[in-house]
Amino acid sequence: MSAKLIPATGLLWLSTALALLAGSELRAQAADMKFQAFLLWGTDNSKPPEGKAYKPVAVDIRQKLKELPIKWTNWFEVNRKDFAVPQSTVSEVAMSEKCQLNVRKLGDSEVEVTLIGKGKEVVKRKQSLPKGEMLVLGGNAPNSTAWLVVLKRIE
Amino acid sequence: MTVEDHSSVDDQTLVRASQRGDMAAFEELVARHRDRIYARAYSMMRNEEEAVDLSQEAWVKGWQRLAQFHGESSFGTWMTRIIINLCLDQLRKHKRQRAESIEAMDEESGGVERQMPVVTVNPTAGLERGELRQRIDQALGQLSYEHRTSLVLHEFEEMEYREIAKTMGCSIGTVMSRLFYARRKLAALLADLKNRDSV
Amino acid sequence: MDYKAQLKLQALLDGELPDGEASAATKWVARDREAASLLEELRSTRGALAGFEADVRLPESREFFWSKVEREIQRLETPAPKPARVSYFTLVRRFLVPASAVAVVLIAGLMLIPPAGSTGRTVAAEIETALADSGVFTYRDYSAGATLVWLSYPAEDEAAEIDEMGTFD
Repeated sequence: MSAKLIPATGLLWLSTALALLAGSELRAQAADMKFQAFLLWGTDNSKPPEGKAYKPVAVDIRQKLKELPIKWTNWFEVNRKDFAVPQSTVSEVAMSEKCQLNVRKLGDSEVEVTLIGKGKEVVKRKQSLPKGEMLVLGGNAPNSTAWLVVLKRIE
Repeated sequence: MTVEDHSSVDDQTLVRASQRGDMAAFEELVARHRDRIYARAYSMMRNEEEAVDLSQEAWVKGWQRLAQFHGESSFGTWMTRIIINLCLDQLRKHKRQRAESIEAMDEESGGVERQMPVVTVNPTAGLERGELRQRIDQALGQLSYEHRTSLVLHEFEEMEYREIAKTMGCSIGTVMSRLFYARRKLAALLADLKNRDSV
Repeated sequence: MDYKAQLKLQALLDGELPDGEASAATKWVARDREAASLLEELRSTRGALAGFEADVRLPESREFFWSKVEREIQRLETPAPKPARVSYFTLVRRFLVPASAVAVVLIAGLMLIPPAGSTGRTVAAEIETALADSGVFTYRDYSAGATLVWLSYPAEDEAAEIDEMGTFD
C-alpha cells in the first residue's frame, strides 16, 4: 500500500505561515482604539438657549445625523472628549455631571459601550465599530428637544 | 406546433398543453412572464444574480407543479406566488446568516418614523420615468428586508394586510407598522435624494 | 397625532377600514391639516411606486434563460445513475491522505491557542441590554456607517420634573 505523505518541507511552510498570521493578529489586538465622544443637544430652534455656550456641531457629524431617521434640524455640541481605549481596560468618560460613557475594547473592532445616566446604567451595547464609523445613543429631552451621545472611532 | 404558433395562443391553452408535457408551450409561457417574475424577485432580493437564479428555480418549480394549477388565478399570478415564496425562503436564510439590528426592532415600542416630519413637497415631481425608477430603486435598497417585503407585497402584489400577515408569518398589526415605516422612510429618502440633486 | 391615528390614516388609504370607520376618518382628515398632510404624503409615495416594476427586464436572452430552465428540468426528471463500486484499497487510500493533512493542520493550530487567562476574540454580534426602565429602538445605516440606538429615557413621568436640557447637561 502506498499512501501519499505530505513532505516535511510543506509542513514547515504551513507552520511558518500560521505563526506569522497569529503574530499579526496579536499585534492588531494590542493597539489602542481612539475615539471622539460628543454630547449633543437637538432642537428645531436655530440657537441654543440663553446663557448656554453650546457650539454648532461639526460638519461631518451633522451630515451623518441627517442620514438617520431623527427629526431635529439643529444640533449643538454640549461637550466633546477625545480618548483612547487600551486593551483589557474600561475607559470611563464623563460627558457631563450626569452622563458617563464607559467603553471597553473586546477585539479588533468589537467594543462594549455602556451609557450611565445619573448614576444608573441606561444601556449597554456590544457591537463592531470600525474606524470612521459611529454609534449614536439618543433620546427625547423636554420641550420637544433631544439629547445624543455620539461615539466616533477615529483609530 | 412551432414557436410562432404558440405566440398567438392564449395562456390557458398553453398551460393545458404544458400540463400534457408540451415543453415548447411551457417555453412560450416562460417567455411571456419571465420579466414579471424576475421583476418581483429583484424588488425583493435587490441582487440581480440572485433574482435571476431564483427566477430560474421558480420556473422549474412551476413546471413540476403544473398539475396543481387549476385556473383559480391567472397563470402569471400563480407564478408570482411561487417566486415570492422562494424569495421569502432565501431572505430568511440571509437573515439567519447576518443579524441586522433593525430586524430586531420592535415596531410597537420603537417608532422614530412617527416623529419624522411630513414630506410636503412631492419628491417625484419633475422627474422623468427613468430617473424616478432609479431613485426608487436606490431608496428600496436602503430598506430592511422585512420593510421592503411588506411594501412589495402590498404595492406590487396588491395583497391585503391579512394576506401579507399570513405570507410573512406575523400579525396584521406588525404588517401595518412595517408598511407605515417603509412608506415614511421611502418618502424621506426620495425627498433627500431630490434635495441632494438640487444642491 | 398618536401612532394609532397615523396607522388609521394608512388603513384609510389602503381601503382596509370598515365603512363606518372610513367615513369617520374621512371627515377627520377634512378638518385636520396634520392628518391631511400625512395622508397626502402616503398617497404620493404610493403614486411614486405605481408601475415601478413594469420596465424591469430579465437581463438574459430568451434562449439562454430557457436553456438553463430546460436543462434543470431535464436533470431533475432523469434518474441519477448508480455509483460504480469502489475497491477497498481505493477507499483506504482516499481516507489516509486527507486524514494526515488534517492531523498536520490540527498540530499547527494547537500552537496558536492563546495561553490560559488571556482574552480571546469575541464573536462579532450586536448585543444590547436596556436597563433603567428604558425601551430601545435600533437603526443601522450601512452606507452612512452609523448605528442609532434610541432610548425611551428619561421615562415619560420624569420628563415633567426636568427643566430644559436637565437630562444630561
